[in-house]
Amino acid sequence: MSDTPAPKSLRAVGNFIDDRFHLAKTGEKNLRKVFPNHWSFMLGEIALYSFIILLLTGVFLTLWFKPSMTEIVYDGSYERLNGVLMSEAYASTLHITFDVRGGLLMRQIHHWAALIFVASMTIHMLRVFFTGAFRKPREINWTIGAIILLLSFVEGLFGYSLPDDLPSGMGVRILQGVILSIPVIGTYVMMFLFGGEFPGEDIIPRLYMLHILLIPGILLALIVAHFMILWHQKHTQYPGTGRTEKKVVGTPMYPAFAVKAGGFFFFTFAVIVGLSAFVQINPIHLFGPFTPTSITSGLQPDWYMGFMEGALRIFPNWFDFNIAGYAVPVAVLVPGLGSLGLLAVALIAWPWIEQWITRDREHHNVADRPRNAPTRTALGVAASVVYGLLWLAGSNDIISETFSINLYLTTWIFRVGVIVGPVVAFIVTKRICLGLQRRDRETLEHGYESGTIEQLPSGEFIEVHKTSSPETVHVLRSKRPVPRIDVEATDEEGVESPEARSVMGRLRNRLAHWYTKDNISFEGVEPHSGHHLHHGHATAGAEQEPANTH
Amino acid sequence: MKWITARRRHPLAGYVVVILALAFVGVGYAFVAPSADRAQAQTVAADAPDVDLREGRQIFTESCASCHGPQGAGTETGPDLTNVGAASVDFQVSTGRMPSMNPDAQMPRRPTPFTQEEIDNLAAYVATFGEGPAVPTNVPATAPQRSDFESEEEYEAARETYDAAYEEYIAGGDTEAGMKLYLANCAHCHSWSGAGGALTDGRWAPELHEASPRQLYEAMLTGPGAMPLFNDTTLTPDEKQDLIGYVKDLQAEPNAGGVFALDRIGQVAEGFVGWTVGITLIVACAIWITAKQRAHD
Amino acid sequence: MTDNNNLNGAGAGAEGRDRVIGTPTADGDTLVSGTEESAASSQQRHIGPYPAVETHPRTEEQQRKGERSAALWFLVAFVSGVGFLVSYFLFPPAADGAPSIAHPATAQLANMAMGGTLALSLFAIGAGMTVWARQVMPHYEVSTPYDELPSSPKEKSSFSDFFMRGAHESGFTKRPLMRRTLIAAMLPLGLAPVVLLRDTGPLPGDRLKHTMWESGMRMVVEGTDREIRATDLDRVGGMISALPKAPHEGEHGHGLTLNEQAKAVILLIKMDEFGPDMTEQQRSWTADGIVAYSKICTHVGCPAALYERTTHRILCPCHQSTFDAANGAKVVFGPAHRPLPQLPLRVDDEGYLVAAGDFSSAVGPTFWDAEKGD
Repeated sequence: MSDTPAPKSLRAVGNFIDDRFHLAKTGEKNLRKVFPNHWSFMLGEIALYSFIILLLTGVFLTLWFKPSMTEIVYDGSYERLNGVLMSEAYASTLHITFDVRGGLLMRQIHHWAALIFVASMTIHMLRVFFTGAFRKPREINWTIGAIILLLSFVEGLFGYSLPDDLPSGMGVRILQGVILSIPVIGTYVMMFLFGGEFPGEDIIPRLYMLHILLIPGILLALIVAHFMILWHQKHTQYPGTGRTEKKVVGTPMYPAFAVKAGGFFFFTFAVIVGLSAFVQINPIHLFGPFTPTSITSGLQPDWYMGFMEGALRIFPNWFDFNIAGYAVPVAVLVPGLGSLGLLAVALIAWPWIEQWITRDREHHNVADRPRNAPTRTALGVAASVVYGLLWLAGSNDIISETFSINLYLTTWIFRVGVIVGPVVAFIVTKRICLGLQRRDRETLEHGYESGTIEQLPSGEFIEVHKTSSPETVHVLRSKRPVPRIDVEATDEEGVESPEARSVMGRLRNRLAHWYTKDNISFEGVEPHSGHHLHHGHATAGAEQEPANTH
Repeated sequence: MKWITARRRHPLAGYVVVILALAFVGVGYAFVAPSADRAQAQTVAADAPDVDLREGRQIFTESCASCHGPQGAGTETGPDLTNVGAASVDFQVSTGRMPSMNPDAQMPRRPTPFTQEEIDNLAAYVATFGEGPAVPTNVPATAPQRSDFESEEEYEAARETYDAAYEEYIAGGDTEAGMKLYLANCAHCHSWSGAGGALTDGRWAPELHEASPRQLYEAMLTGPGAMPLFNDTTLTPDEKQDLIGYVKDLQAEPNAGGVFALDRIGQVAEGFVGWTVGITLIVACAIWITAKQRAHD
Repeated sequence: MTDNNNLNGAGAGAEGRDRVIGTPTADGDTLVSGTEESAASSQQRHIGPYPAVETHPRTEEQQRKGERSAALWFLVAFVSGVGFLVSYFLFPPAADGAPSIAHPATAQLANMAMGGTLALSLFAIGAGMTVWARQVMPHYEVSTPYDELPSSPKEKSSFSDFFMRGAHESGFTKRPLMRRTLIAAMLPLGLAPVVLLRDTGPLPGDRLKHTMWESGMRMVVEGTDREIRATDLDRVGGMISALPKAPHEGEHGHGLTLNEQAKAVILLIKMDEFGPDMTEQQRSWTADGIVAYSKICTHVGCPAALYERTTHRILCPCHQSTFDAANGAKVVFGPAHRPLPQLPLRVDDEGYLVAAGDFSSAVGPTFWDAEKGD
C-alpha cells in the first residue's frame, strides 16, 4: 500500500516486538490518536515536562546531597563561610553549589522547574475548570489532577526545607507550629514527625525520604494514570466546525503532533534553563545556615505556599478559645490546616457538586465557553480572587515596604478584601458573562456589525450587519440549552415530589435555580434571522430584538 | 544569549521585553546596589582633631535650632538633643536624614548638603550639650570622592588609603560571630541581605547597602528612629566589627546564581518572575506551535 | 451540526482503503481541513498516512525553505551544545590558584555560560522541530469518533452474571465463617504499620513546657560567649538577643544544642517604665529595668525579635503578631494566641544578669496544654 516500504532494519525491530507483544494494531491506533489544536491544551504538558526536568535534576542533586543534621564545621571551598558551624545538609548543598561543576545550575533548574511545575498545573486546572472540561466522563481525571496539585504543594515545601538554610528551616518551624496547634494530638504528631523536639536531628532525613521517594513515586503514578485516562477518553475540544460530542477534530499523534509536543518539551526546558542561567533563585549560601534563634524580614515560602502564609498572616486571633484551660489556637488551625483542607475538598468535590446541582448526567466532549456557564465562571473567578488575595497577603510586608503602606493597614485591607473581593468578583464576572451571551445571541441572530453606516430612503441611518462565517455560527450555536429547574416543582396533581420536600432536595432545587436562572436561552434563535441583516428590510429602529427583554 | 534567542521570535519579542522590564523594574530598582556602597560621597577627613566649634554652632543655629531649640533642648517638632552625642549627629547628618523637611515622617537616606568637615564641627558642637556616644573615628566612613580633590593623584592616594582601611576593617571581623550577631539582632528588621523591611505604623527599617561601616556603627550606638540601641557594653567594638564585616562582605559578594539577583528580595520576586517571565515565555511557545496556519474563511 | 464532517472530497476518502483503525464504527478518521488549497497541489502525489487528495502538502519550495530554517536551528543547537560542553571544562572546581567556581564571581560566569548555552541549544532544538512540523509537514486536521463510553447493556449484564457466578462458585458469599475470619485476620495486620511508627519519636510528656533555664543561670550574648552584666544594658532602648551560659562547654559549637537554643533564646530589653498591664509579679521578674521575653513567637514559632524602641512593640516578621514589651508582652495585633513567656531575672552578687527560674509559661507555638500547669 505504502509507496515507501519500511527499511529492513526497522521492519526487523518491528517484527521482533510484534512477535512478542502483538502490537501492530494497537500501535497504529495509538499513533493515529487525534489531539485538538489549541495553545491552552498544552498547559498540562508544561507540567508534565517540568516534572520530567525535576526528576532528572533531582537525581543529579541526590548524588552529592547529604540529608543529615549532624553539625559540622564547614571547611570547603566557599571561603566566606569557612569555619562556620552548620549541618551536613547545608554543607553538602554548598558543595553542590561551589565544588560540583553545573551543580549550581542544576540546583537553580530544579527550583525554577518546581515553581513552573506548580504554576503550570494551576493554569492548566483553571483552563479545565472554566471550560467545563472536568465534566462527565472526566471527573476522575480532574480529581487525580487535584491530588497531584495538592501533593506538589507538600512536595515543594519539603524540598524547600532540605538545604537547611535560614528561610528553609523557618518553613519547617512554621510546619511544626501548625502541627502543634492541632487539639489533643498535636504534640504527639509533632513529636513523632520530628523524632523529639524542634529541630532535632531526624526531620531532614525524613523529609528527604518523603521528597525523593514516597511523594514523587505517588506523583509519578498519578501522572501516568492521568495521562492514560486522557489518552483513553481523548481530549476535549472547543466548539467549531465538525467538532461534536461524538467526533474529535485535531492533529494525529503521528507524525505531526509528536514532533510538536517534542518541540514543546525543548521549549519548556529551554525557558527553565534560561531562567536558571541568569536569574538567581534561593541563594542558600548567602542566607547562612539555619538556626532556630534567628530570623530575617521578608521571609516567604515559595509562591504556591503563599496562600497559606497569607492566611496565617491575616487571620485574627479573635476566635481563639480555651476549653478548661486547654488552648485551641483557631488562628493557626484555620489558616494553617483549614485553608489547605478547604482547597482540597473544593477542588476534589467540585465536579460532583456541580453534577448534583445541575442534574447533568450527560457525556461532554465539547468544552464550554466560559461565558456560557456564567455561574461556574463567576464562582471560579471569585475563588481565584480569594486565592490571589491570600497569596498577596503572604507578602504584605514586602508590599508595605515597597509601596510605603502601613503594615497593619495592609493586613486590614486583605482581611476585608478576602470577604468583599469574591462577592464583587462574582457579581461582576457573572454580569460580564451574561452580557457576552446577549451579544452572542444578537450576533447569531443579526450577523456582526460591519461598521458600515447606510442611510435609508426614509433618512434613517443604520449600521449594516453582515452574515457571520459558518465557523462563527457554529461556535455561537454551541451553547447548550439552559435547563430550567422550577423550585416549586410539582407533579400534575400539584403534589411535590418526595425528593423536593426533603431539606437536601429543597437545597438542591434552590441551588439549581440559582445556578441557571440568569442564563440566556438561545432556543429558537435561528442564525441570521434578524431584521436588519438585509438592510432593505430594516424598517424599524435597530434595537428591537428579543434578547433585550431580559 | 537568551536575549538573542528571544529576539529571533520577533512576534513575541516586544512582549518579552516589556515583561522582563516589568519584572525587574517592578520588584527592584537596583540589583547592582551592593557594589554602589563605596561610591557614596564625602571625604575621610573625620579624624581631623581640630574642630571648629564656632562653625558648628553656626550650622546648628541655621539648620537645626528651628526644630531642636537654640540649645538643643528640643521643641514640639524636634526631640531633645542634650544627650544624643556626636555619633548621633554624624549618623543623622551624614546619611542626609537631618536636617529633615518633614518632622513627622521617617526620613529616607539621601545625599547630605554638608561636607564631612562641617558635619564634624556640628557634631562636636552638639556633643557639648551633654553626655553621649562619640563618633567612632577608627571605623571607616564613606569613601573619598573625586570632587573633593584638586588633582587625580591626590584622590587616587586618598582612595587607596581608604580602600586599604576599609578592607582591613571588613576582613578583620569573625564571620561566624558576625553572622550569628547579625542574624540574631539585625536581620529581623533589615533582612538577611540588608535590604530592609517593614515596621509598624508605616515606618520601615532602611536598607543597608549604601551605609558606611561607620554609619552602621553609629546606628547601633544611637538607635535612630525606632531602632533599639546596641552600645559598646552590649556589643563590644570587636563584635560590632564582626557584625559589620559580615553584612558588608555579604553585600559585596557577586551573585553566583546569575546577573539578575532580583534585588535579593527572595521568594516573592522569584514567584513573580516564575509567573510573568517563565510561564509567559512557555505559553508564547505553545501559541507558536499551535497557531493556525491558514485562515478557515 | 451533523456527524458528517467530511466536508470536501468525500468521494476521495472512500477509495477502498481500510482506514478504520480500532474504531468500532464504520466512519473512521476523516479529514476536515487542509483541503481547500489541495486543488493546486493535487497534481503532486503526496504519500502520507491519510489519503493524498485530502492532505495539504506544502509545495516543494515551501518545504525546502522549511528544511533550511529547521536545519539552521539544529545547527545552532549543535554549536551551543558544544559550547555547553566547552564551558563545563572552562571553569574548573576548586583548582589551585586558578579562578575556580568556588569563587562567586567565577561561579556566576560559569553558571551563565553553561546555562546560556544549554538554554540556547534546547531552544534551538524546539524551534527547529516546530519549524519542521509547521513548514515541512502537510497541515491537516482529522476527525475521529470519541469512544462510546458506557458498555452496552448486554455486555454489562453478561459481566455481572459472570462475576456473581464466580463469587458464588468460590463460596465467598455463602460461607460466612470463612469470610468473617478472613476479615478478622486482616485487622491486626492493618494496624501493624501504624504501630510500627510508634518509635519515630518520644511521647511529649511535659518536655515542651520546660526549658534549660534554672535559677541562678547566667546568660551570654548570642553569637559570642560573653556573659552579660546588668550594667551592660545601661541605656534605655537597649536590646540584645541572649542564650543561657552553657553548662557543658565544647560538645557543640557554643555548648548548646539547637534544641536547647530553640527553646531557651531570649530577648533582653532595657526599658525606662512599664505599662499598666504589667502585673506586680511580672514587674518583680525584671531587674534594673531589664525585661527578658522568650524570642520564640507563640503563633507558629518564628523568632519574634523585631523590637521597636519607640513603641515598645515586639513584632514577629513572619506573620506580624505584635506584642507589647512594656505590658508583659501581651498581644496587641496579629494572630498570636498568648503573650510571649517572660523569663524571671535578677542580678547576682557579681553584677551579672541571671535567671530567677524557668519561663512563666510554655515556650514556642501554642499547643493543646500549653497553658496548663504540670
